[in-house]
Amino acid sequence: MNSPDLQNIVAGFDHEAFGSQAVFRVALDALSHPGRPLDMPLDTALPRQGHCAAAALLLGLLDADTTLWLSPALASSDAPAWLRFHTGCLIVTDVGAAQFVWVAQGDDLPSLSRMQKGSDAYPDQSATCVIEVNSLQTDAVGWRLQGPGIPAERNLRVRGLPPDFAAQWAYNHAEFPRGVDVFLTTPTQIAGLPRTTRILPDPES
Amino acid sequence: MFHSFDNAGLKRPTSRPEWMALLARAPQDLLNDALAAHSTAPPLWLRKPETGLMMVQGRAGGTGERFNLGEITVTRCALRLWGADAHSPVGVAYVLGRNHRQAQLAAMADALLQDPVQHDVLETQLLNPVRQRLQQTQAQRHDRAQTTKVDFLTVAREAGGGVDGDDA
Repeated sequence: MNSPDLQNIVAGFDHEAFGSQAVFRVALDALSHPGRPLDMPLDTALPRQGHCAAAALLLGLLDADTTLWLSPALASSDAPAWLRFHTGCLIVTDVGAAQFVWVAQGDDLPSLSRMQKGSDAYPDQSATCVIEVNSLQTDAVGWRLQGPGIPAERNLRVRGLPPDFAAQWAYNHAEFPRGVDVFLTTPTQIAGLPRTTRILPDPES
Repeated sequence: MFHSFDNAGLKRPTSRPEWMALLARAPQDLLNDALAAHSTAPPLWLRKPETGLMMVQGRAGGTGERFNLGEITVTRCALRLWGADAHSPVGVAYVLGRNHRQAQLAAMADALLQDPVQHDVLETQLLNPVRQRLQQTQAQRHDRAQTTKVDFLTVAREAGGGVDGDDA
């Protein structure tokens, strides 16, 4: 593997332990309250390409034992060198071999069915997909979310996902306990979409 | 220890791998003296000094199968100098032991040496003294080892001579 060009690398968390703990806390909250947009603490220097919240999330979650796939816009930027320098993660070119997937805003989302889903015995060996979207709104007509972590229903409107995402998600949900977990990110917020969450289209839409 | 590759090139400047190899073994007092003007301001850290273990491998006789000799502590860090912009040279250092300050100074020296203006100054103020110190250390160790040397050849010759003498 080529050594990353250090010239373009910026710093990581201001305080490594506290920074990654704060990110991990937000990631836990996001997955335990699916569809609730949460502010991501951003006390870190960031690469030029990609959403800040997505970059901080991955900086907190990745380590030397994880593999990461990046969408083309990110793969050609300074983001992979930055993540590799600070976390030691392995960048892979096959989305099916990645434990983490980072899709930039504007890049095509690889089909969720191509990502690792784990097995019935080891459902934890599945991919976690970080998808950058245009906006996350809870007060607008869009999806109705149901499932563990949601008392009755939660509204979430996401702009910037492919039109067939809901269909892909229905298939992903049906394969429980296997399946992919998703984080949706805007530049400052993240929302979790674990595999247990159902997406119902809004009847008014 | 001083190695033959540590010698200064006659007409070429020291390359980065060469000076990094020197800095990795540079004693802290020499680094402190040479970098006194630069070491007061805190650097911009890319990676703060962190200590870890590295496995040292050896080969029996230098040519045999590889085997794990043991683990050593290594401290590493990466930084930019204070006041430098976001794309100025990055100084990197790996030094033996757990001395964070020594790793920091070595990385600062590495960053400064990549600047052509500073390079010549540091070449005379830092790299040459380090070379001398390493050579001195090696000479001292060599002398100390020499005092314990036993010349088996002499013993064999005397014994052999004695036998010869009996025969004659």
